[in-house]
Amino acid sequence: MDHKKREYTMTIDTKDCFTIEGKLALPYQYFAGRTGSRFITSLRDNKKIMGLECKHCNKVFVPPRSTCEVCFEDISENWVDLPNTGIVTGFTIVRYEEPHQPVKPPYITALVKLDKADTPFAHIVKGIPLSKMKTGLRVEAVFAKRTTATIMDIDHFRPIKEGPSFKLGYSYDALEVGMSDSFTKTISETDVYLFAGISGDFNPMHMNEEFAKTTPMGTRIAHGALPQCLIAPVLGMKLPGLGTIALEVTTRFKAPTYFGDTITATGEVVEKLPERRWVRMALTFTNQKNELVAEGSALVLPPPSMP
Amino acid sequence: MKKMKKNRNVGIIGVGQSVFSSHREEVNQPEMIHEAVVEALDQAGMTMEDIDCVVHGNMELFEMVHQPDLWHTIGTGAFGRESLRITTGGTTGATLVCAADALVASGLHEVVMAIGFEKLQEGHTTGGITNMADPLWTRKLQTGALTGMTATQVIDEFGEERAKKASMLYRIFMDKHAMKNDKAHRRLGLEFDQADDLAKKSPALVGELRMIHMCSQSDGTCVMIFASEEKARLHCKQPAWIKDHISVHREENFTIFGDALVVSTHRYAAKKLFARNDITDPRKQIDMMEMYDPSSWWGLDWIREFLMLEGDAHIRMVEEGDIAIDGAFPINPSGGVTASNPIGATAMVRVAEAAMQIMGTAGDHQVPKQVNTALASGFGGTMWTVLTLLTREAPEL
Repeated sequence: MDHKKREYTMTIDTKDCFTIEGKLALPYQYFAGRTGSRFITSLRDNKKIMGLECKHCNKVFVPPRSTCEVCFEDISENWVDLPNTGIVTGFTIVRYEEPHQPVKPPYITALVKLDKADTPFAHIVKGIPLSKMKTGLRVEAVFAKRTTATIMDIDHFRPIKEGPSFKLGYSYDALEVGMSDSFTKTISETDVYLFAGISGDFNPMHMNEEFAKTTPMGTRIAHGALPQCLIAPVLGMKLPGLGTIALEVTTRFKAPTYFGDTITATGEVVEKLPERRWVRMALTFTNQKNELVAEGSALVLPPPSMP
Repeated sequence: MKKMKKNRNVGIIGVGQSVFSSHREEVNQPEMIHEAVVEALDQAGMTMEDIDCVVHGNMELFEMVHQPDLWHTIGTGAFGRESLRITTGGTTGATLVCAADALVASGLHEVVMAIGFEKLQEGHTTGGITNMADPLWTRKLQTGALTGMTATQVIDEFGEERAKKASMLYRIFMDKHAMKNDKAHRRLGLEFDQADDLAKKSPALVGELRMIHMCSQSDGTCVMIFASEEKARLHCKQPAWIKDHISVHREENFTIFGDALVVSTHRYAAKKLFARNDITDPRKQIDMMEMYDPSSWWGLDWIREFLMLEGDAHIRMVEEGDIAIDGAFPINPSGGVTASNPIGATAMVRVAEAAMQIMGTAGDHQVPKQVNTALASGFGGTMWTVLTLLTREAPEL
């Protein structure tokens, strides 16, 4: 044998090499069969998703199939109605574009397992930013406006808004003695006039500078209840926050509030009342010079815990 | 000739067939397959628990479904079992039988279920076949079995009148057989006195190949259960034993006209198979045949090839009614391929029907004599022949 070292090709030379372009265009159709047709008819006519249940292993198949391949039993008569809601068990984001896609990319193709079903099926999910898409997302079917008598009679799935979209405040259990929060606002002449309109208290000591000069304060002052009501945004929106019910608010006025004063209303948890699950809060109202304008207390029913 | 040695005998113990029809809209693919699976299991007195391996086959390109065996698990019962998918195409149905036989004979499995199916109405068969055209490989545009070449050759050789008559006679025999087979797709109820009229009036497809001569496109499934000798004897009073099979094919196109010598893969396969099974007079030693006859021109012409006849012997067999169900050498008591053609199942149906004749389960189209030896042929593109020889007695190993 001649063991002379062989010369290996290290470059690719495609000169004079032809490429024959081909094209496959194969039309096809698909027989849905009795079972598949009933599924589609139900979607089309009743906007109802139906599945088939194997009585042997209790598995519910969606889309329906006439046989359970594990138990190998004919299940074609065991129809069950299914809700339009389900959970995403897997998904992919389609970003490339090709002619046969149902919608324009990017879009989400997901496997959706309907509640009460055991098998997921593929569909499109819309109504959620691509970056927020996740497995485990709860979704609901959105039916197409016009039927095509196909699986696309469900146009897509969209996320279910779970519970309220706002965040409730601190619950009784979440509140601790010593927690405090406040709200600050500058009281203007407009505030006083609006408050006069709301309360009907057009007393000239709030309205008429010339009259006010004759009073001990020597100038117009705000209604006492005006700084007092600044505790409402604290209790209702901050501490405990949204969902709070005020049961009692008492205030003792200590000093006048002049136009242009900046009032800070502060609430502090001072006592938790376990038998009624109420909370007592100490209230203080101070101005920009840190003078005590008013003080008092409130009894509130905090919001329930979020699930 | 060098003898082949088989490890152990394999018996066919169950056959199931769906109803064949041009449109099976009421079932999807796994559902249609399930029909035949249930029937085959029933006939074998088995459940899926008895099946070790499922062999699945069709022509993927025809329905445009990728890896159909995975989807079809819903209907095939292959869940959790050994499984194999075969697409020779070629003649897939016949290759499925070869594979199932080998899987059992080898000792790998005791019981194997083979499934051949096609839902031609869901796809575009000719679209799939004509795409085989390739100028570099000298493969010309093809139309599958839709070729008028044989009609021309038979007419050239035997004269127009005799050739056309014989071809129509063959066709009417096939239809009369199909009328006895509830599952056949086309059961036209033809009578012999219609022959001349049909030969003239049936729409021409290619030359003298007319619509009436041509096979159908069908939806359908065939399922067969193969068992080791021990299992077969346990489950079946009269299994059909697989004596031998042979596959012959060659890469070439159909358009070699003129003087080019075309060696028929049919005759080559028959010659080899008969030689190694000591068959010197096939018409005597074989009792009947299920032939893959894509058209009544080919069916007529191929009798000569498969039975290694010379001259006009094949024409005479048709003219004299030998090929009738109660004739001297019945061909296609099932109605054959001109009656039903679910492609991936078609070649398997030939073996299944031959097996049914031996097992005595063919019902209304049972040949009225005892069938001891039966021959089945498969045909596919390009020039692909599979011959299967079945016997009533278990072969000596």
